[in-house]
Order: sequence, then structure tokens, then C-alpha cells
Amino acid sequence: MVETPKKIAPYLFISPFIILFAVFGLFPILYSITISFFKWTVAGPQDFRGFQNYITLLTSDPFFKGSLRTTFLLLVFGSLAQHVFAIPLAIILNDQAVKGRGFLKVLYFLPYITSTVVIALVFNQLYEQNYGWLNYILENWLNLPKVNWVKDPKAILASISIMVNWRFIGWNTVIYLAGLQSIDKALYEAADIDGAVGFRKHWHITVPLLLPIIFFAVTLSIIGGMQLFEEPFVLMRGYEQMGGPSNAGLTSAYYLLATGFHFNRFGKASAMAWILFAIIMFMTWLNKVVTDKLQK
Amino acid sequence: MKSFNVSIAKAGVKIPMYLMLLVFVFIFGFPFYYMFVLATVPGTQMYQNPPHIFFKTSFFENVLALLQDIPFPVNFFNSFGIAALSTVTVIFFCTMGGFALAKYEFKGKKMIFFFLLSTMAIPPFLNIIPFFKMMVFFKWYGTWLPLIIPGMANAFGILLMTQFMQGSIPDALLDAARIDGLTEFGILRHIAFPLSKSGIAVLGIMTFINSWNNFLTALVMLPNTDKTTLPVALSKLFMQMDGDRGGLMAGTFLAVLPLIIVFVMFNKQIISGLAAGSVKG
Amino acid sequence: MRKMIVPILLICVLLTGVLTSCSKDDKSAEGPSIPAYDPEKEYSLSIGCYGDLERAYLAVMETEDFKNTFPNITFEFQTADFNGHHSRLTTVLAAGEATNDIEALEVGFVAKFVEGGGLTNLAAAPFNGVEEGKDIVGFAMSNATTQDGRLVAMPVDIAPAVMFYRKSIVDAAGVSVENLGSWDEYIEVGRELLGDRDGDGKIDQFALPNANDVALTPLSGGKGGWFDDAGKPLEPKDKFITALTVVKEIREAGIDGDLTAWTGPWTQGFADGTIVTTINGAWFGGALKTWMATDTAGDWRVTRLPGNELAALGGTYLSIPENVSADQKAAAWEVIKYLCADPNAQLTTFEAIDAFPALTTVYDAPVMDEGVDFFGGQKVRQIYAEVARDIPNAAVSEYDAAILSIFNNSITDVLVNDVEVEDAYQTALNSVLAIAD
Repeated sequence: MVETPKKIAPYLFISPFIILFAVFGLFPILYSITISFFKWTVAGPQDFRGFQNYITLLTSDPFFKGSLRTTFLLLVFGSLAQHVFAIPLAIILNDQAVKGRGFLKVLYFLPYITSTVVIALVFNQLYEQNYGWLNYILENWLNLPKVNWVKDPKAILASISIMVNWRFIGWNTVIYLAGLQSIDKALYEAADIDGAVGFRKHWHITVPLLLPIIFFAVTLSIIGGMQLFEEPFVLMRGYEQMGGPSNAGLTSAYYLLATGFHFNRFGKASAMAWILFAIIMFMTWLNKVVTDKLQK
Repeated sequence: MKSFNVSIAKAGVKIPMYLMLLVFVFIFGFPFYYMFVLATVPGTQMYQNPPHIFFKTSFFENVLALLQDIPFPVNFFNSFGIAALSTVTVIFFCTMGGFALAKYEFKGKKMIFFFLLSTMAIPPFLNIIPFFKMMVFFKWYGTWLPLIIPGMANAFGILLMTQFMQGSIPDALLDAARIDGLTEFGILRHIAFPLSKSGIAVLGIMTFINSWNNFLTALVMLPNTDKTTLPVALSKLFMQMDGDRGGLMAGTFLAVLPLIIVFVMFNKQIISGLAAGSVKG
Repeated sequence: MRKMIVPILLICVLLTGVLTSCSKDDKSAEGPSIPAYDPEKEYSLSIGCYGDLERAYLAVMETEDFKNTFPNITFEFQTADFNGHHSRLTTVLAAGEATNDIEALEVGFVAKFVEGGGLTNLAAAPFNGVEEGKDIVGFAMSNATTQDGRLVAMPVDIAPAVMFYRKSIVDAAGVSVENLGSWDEYIEVGRELLGDRDGDGKIDQFALPNANDVALTPLSGGKGGWFDDAGKPLEPKDKFITALTVVKEIREAGIDGDLTAWTGPWTQGFADGTIVTTINGAWFGGALKTWMATDTAGDWRVTRLPGNELAALGGTYLSIPENVSADQKAAAWEVIKYLCADPNAQLTTFEAIDAFPALTTVYDAPVMDEGVDFFGGQKVRQIYAEVARDIPNAAVSEYDAAILSIFNNSITDVLVNDVEVEDAYQTALNSVLAIAD
């Protein structure tokens, strides 16, 4: 039996990632960086552009800046808002006194695994202007005016946020649940002895203990939120519409894919991807700084 | 754990809480229920308005129609095989990697951590093009390999496991094991893996589901409806003129069932992770 | 981390060199180095397509004639949904590869490849596509031809735009939608078509599903018109403003149902009489007949658009990716030729999935003169053929897809957000110019 000294072990354990990345991850990254400096179409490189793509996107492109704004708003109301629901839900579902929690867990996770086809069908039905369920409820049960969920630029953000929240709250709940399971029970017992009760206990004990998981889950939300594509794409009917009226539903990822796959400008799309990357890295760093401070 | 229960089970909190849970059940569960209903509706009645709420009886006809349109068993097998292999390999490699980051101090650890995080931030959208080029070059086009190998030790998995393992494996235990003469691989096998059941279960679920639902990569890498995965095969039926819409819905529903089963199975693991955790201390 | 930057930049530079130098030298597959098709040799061809096309081409392959012509070829299909297929195709071509010998494309995507990216030039020897396609409708051929005469795909079916209407409802209103001279006349008639069938005080019967349905027909179905043959931007203010104005007027007259295409209420509307007329390509008749409005068989009719406006709303093309291996190309071409220019193939496809033939010689076939039961025995195929023959050629540009997206947003702005037509045009124009590079 070969003895692996403690020193070498971590390098060995992490080496599969390094190797796989070197083989499969590196080329796409380099390729993507390279083409971002060109006008690049299906026919290949057309023109060397240097940083032109980046500059155009940040200055004169009519859609990119707006898409960033849309993406940020959806990040806050669609992706980050989920945690406000997911953490309490996870705490409740973690409590053994709650009946039916096994069943509930599966149910809450269902949105994540429901297929996109069905989601598109259901939400289109929900949001339909004249015959949809939401407007029906608004008009007939609550006596409120109908909302043009998919055509009114102001409503579109809400519509997409609802979809994203719906899709991923369960996902985050499961992550937090698993995290809660790994919290040392001894710490809870100590708190009980001290008389801490209910909400306060959770706020002061559970949440701080969960911080590493929260950091991770929030980072995932930031990354996912900044790359949000599927929900707006499905709701705004794909490439036909550039995110709907006033490009209200055009997230940066949506615009990126449209630019590459629909408008045949892969260089520009690639430049967008790297700008997004920079933004995501910045925000992740911010997240770390904030979380570290909270852990003090 | 009595006091923990009491804190939430106080009467005043109970009823609104259950109410809220119920509301969520409805909100989260309805589309899925609707999918089941649609799977039982005959294809020609699919788009009626107002939409169906109760099931009809055409499920088996729909399934038959589906079987005529696509080779469902083959596609199912492909989806399942790829997802299962992905899950197993990912669990293995990412737990290993996560353990390294969670429980060791080594030179370059911070850099690796940062590096892992940054690879997740790279928008994956355009990668499909150079990735495809590579797969053709390696002659992996048309096989399952592109869908399994590149993702085996992925950043998400490693970081997820790192987070879970940091909390659930006491250092004292590791030191004791080393004193007892256990090798590092032995520690990995006898301590790290068993104690990380919660994390592994979560990772397993996520990996299986993502692999199963993967559309674009499967579409590009697997030619012919006969050799591809279920989501791709089903897509053939979208908006088809004569294609049976009932079949499509039945297929969609059947495609989701394994995911639920996997989830339920892994869910039990998350709970048993709790049992393992409470024995110590 | 800083240590890594210099090596990374060097690699990028190297890659640049490598990628730029090797992307263009596959042109050697063209020209005399393509081995001729050998009817004695066995071939295996793969076809990439979407939706119903597989079924249609399988039907053709089942015919005696096909089996006798190509006993030596076996086929495999790779079929996905519309969007998935085109995404896959774009990915594969952008990577400089080819995975199927024949790839189908919808007209909206052909423009992207027209500037010469990734598809074999079928006008060149040994294909001589222009000569082989001389009986195919002109506009369809021109949509797939680049400015320097390269034919990147062959039209296999087209979608002449017509108006479908429910005869009983139109008659009951005492009007006619036949031979309308202009959209204004249509609006007048449309007002008469409104109805309140269930007597609840709200109008539930509409002339057409949505005002935006008429937006594309004055603009050649959205193809071309914004850039001339040399790629210089035009400013088609008149056509654009006319289109948007008609849309707005229809909405203001209250004759459209504000239904979104392909949603439940929209689909239902054809079956239950909520929608009286609609504008779409010929293939839509097939959809109505097969699954959307089966119970209303016999009540639909087809007529020309007001003012005999001409447009194509759809259409399929077959292409051979550039990087298909040379010995496969000849065989692939023979099959494409058959599917596109053989009258039997065209008719079989038509019968299978209602895809209107692009081959004009078929228009004189007896089957074209038959009445169609679903349309009460009307000789609708003659009408489709009439429209098809006259659709004018339009110079497509690679920006067509982008322009269409921007334009669709202008329509919604005008209809929903009360934007003035002139302003909408200006915004659209600015956007188009900004993304054109």
C-alpha cells in the first residue's frame, strides 16, 4: 500500500479537475477570447477589430446597457429574493414536528424539474392578456385592472421575476436544508439551554451558522442571475422579439445568444460574455467581502 | 430535540405556517399537476380554452402514439445511462476535490479556490462551438463521452462539496485517524465520503437532473433520433403538424418521473446524513 | 495570477494565427475535385431537419419512383424542433464542421448564410443549381442567392401568403372579403365581422386574431428592404410607416382580438369561430385541417390578400454544408435535386404535410386543380400557385433576422405602448444602423 503523505494528498485530489480543465476547458476559453477581437460570423473571421467590440458594446450599442440594467433588476427581484423565502422554508422543513415534510420537500422541488415545455405552456396561460388565469383573478375576484403581463414593459420584469422565483426557490431550499442537516446539533442544544426561542434563535444561531452555505448559494444566484436566459427567452418568445417591447425582457445573456446565434456576430457575443464575466467576478468579490464582514 | 420542536410548534404559529406551506404546495405543484392532466388528454383536444383541469383517460393512447413517433425506450436508456454515469463520476471526483479544499492547507489553495469560482462565472453560452470542434477532433462526436467526461470534476460540484464538508467533518476525527495509521486515501474513503452524505445527495440530485435535462449539448453531440436523449427526441414533436401532441405531453410527463424518483431516493440520504452527524459529539 | 497573463496572451495570438489560416482552406472541396455521383455505389446520407419534414421526406422515400432512382442510398434523419435544429446547425457550421450531408433550413435562416458562410455553393459545377432550378419560383431562388451569384440552398417548399376565412360567418355578416382593394376596405369589412355571440355585452368575435398579423405582408414577409444589393442602408420609411399605420388602424378600429399566436385562446379561436379571418402561409391550411379546426371542415375559404399584396411567410430550403466530405456531396445533391425539382417528390411532400411546392411545373398538375374538401371544394391550390408565381424577388441581407426582431418590437410599441408611428420608425432605424457593422 502506497502511503500518500499528507502534503501531496490535496494536490492529488484536486488534480482531476486541473487535468479535465486543461483538456476541455482551456481551449474554449482561449477560442472565445480570441474571437472577441474579431468580427466573427458563421463564415469565420471577417475582420480584426481589436477592442472595438468591447468599446461598441459599452458605448454605442443600443441594447447592451439596457440589457445589463434588466439583468440587474431581475437579479435582485428574481434571483436574490429567493433566499428570503428559501431560508425560512428550509428551517421549517427541517423541523421534525412539521407533518408531511418529506412530501413537501418533493413538491417544492418540482418546479426545478418540470420541463421547459410545460413551464412555457403554463406561464403563457397564466399571463395571457384576455383569457389568462392571473388577469381573471385580478378582474373578477379582486376587482383590479388587468395587467398586460407580457406586453407592458413595466409588468414584464415582474412576470419574469415570478417565473424565476417559482423555478428556483425549491432548489435553494434543498441546498439550505442539506446545509442545516450538517449543522452541529450540539450548538442548538446549547442555545436551548440558554433559553433562546423561535425566531430569535434562528436569527442569532441558525443563520450565522449557515453563512458559508448562504455565501455559496448567493454566489450561485449571482452567477445564475447574471446569466439568466431561459425564462425571459421562453416568455418573450425567443429571437423573434428581442426581449419584447422596449426590450424590457432582454437580459444580457439573451442578447448575447441572439447576437451570436441569430444575428451571426459571434465576436461581439463573445465580447459580451467576457464583459459579463468581469461583472460577475466583481459581484462575487463583493459578496465575499460582505459575508466575511458578517461572519465577524 | 424537544425544545427545537416546541419553538415552531407553538399554536399561534402553526396554522398560518401550514397555510403558507399549503399555498406554496399549490403554486409549486400546479404546473406539474397540469402536465399530468395534459398527458391524459387526447392530442386533438390539447389546446382548448378554458384549459383542462381534470384528467381525462387517454394516457395510454397518448403513450402508444408517442411510441410510434420516437423510439422512447432507446431515448430513455440513453438519458438514463448518461445521467447515471455522470452522477457517479461527478460524486466521486468532486467529493475528492472538495475534501482537498475543505480539510487541507496547501500552497496555492486560495488560488485554486478563486480559480474554481471564476470558471463558474464564465458564461457558458458560446462554449458549445469550440467544444464541439474539440469533440469532433477527439472523435467523440456521436458518443456519450462529451456528455460525461468533461463535466466529471466540475467547479460547482467541488465548491458545493467544500461547503458541506467544512462543517460536517471534525478535524479532530481526521487527526485521530492519521494517528491510527490511516492513509490519506483511506481517510477519504472511510471518513470523508460517509460523513458527507448530505452534500453528496444534493450533488447527486443536481447532477442527475442537469444531465437529464441537458438539451443543447445532447442535440449537437448525438445524431439521429435513434441515438439521442429523451429531451431532444421529444423536441421533434413540438408544433408538429400531424405529430401527436398528446404523445408529446405523455412523453414529457414520463420524462420527469425518473427525476422525481431519483430525488426521493437521494432525499433519504440527506436525512441519513443527519443521523451520521448526530452520533458524534 | 499575473504570471499567467503573458503566456495566455501569447497563446491567444498563436490561436488567432491558427484559426484564421485554417478556416478558409476547405474551399478545396468545391469544383472538379468532387467525385461524380455513381449510381452503382452505395451511399449513406444523413439529413438534418425539423418538425414535419422528416415525415414528408420519408413519404417521398417510400414511393416506387424514389426507390427505383436511389436503390443504392440509405438515409438517416436527425430531427429536432424548429429552434433546436437551427441552433444546432449554426453551432456546427460556426465550428467549421458538418455532421449531416443535407441540412434543411427555414427561409428566415437562409439569409444568415447568404453572405457565404458554411454552405456549399450550389450554383457552381458540378451542381449547376441555377440551371437545375430554373423551374423553381424565382423569388425563392433569389432569397438563397448571394450578391455574387452563389446559391447556398435550394428551395423545397414555399409559403405563399393568403387570407383564410370562415365563409358562414362572413356571409352572415352580409359582406365579402374577396377582391378587397386595400387594407382600408378590409377594415371597413372587418367592422361588420365583429360580434357578441354569447350576448354578454363584450365582443367575442373578431375579424382577425391580432393586428400585428398584417405587419409583414407589405414588407415582403420581412425579407430585405433595409439594405440594398451593395449592402448600403436604405431608409425604407414609406413602406415601414405604411405597414405600421395599417397595424395601428386595425387596432384602433377594434377589429382584432389581441390574441397571441400559438397560445390556447388563439388556437381555440379558429375552432370556435372567435376568429373570422387570418393571414398566413399556405401551410397553415394544413394545420387548420389536421388539428386546429377539424370540426369546422368545409367552412373555410381562401382568398388573396387585400390589394393582391404578395408575400411569402415561410419556406424551406435544403443545403449541403461546406465541410461535408467531397464524395458525399454529389450524392447529396442528387437527392436534393430530386426533392426540389422532381414533380412527384414535390407532390408527395405537398400531400404529406401541406408544404406548398416550390416547383412551378407542378402547378399545372391535375391535383392542383382539385377542390379541397376542407375548404368546401374550393380550388385553393390554384390560389396558392397564383400568389407564388407573382411574388417579387427581394434582396435579402444578413441583417434580416436582426431587423425583424427590432421591427417586431416596433409593432408592439405602436400597438400597446401608444408610441407614434414616426417615432417607432426612428427608433427602429437607429437600432438597425447601430447594429449593422
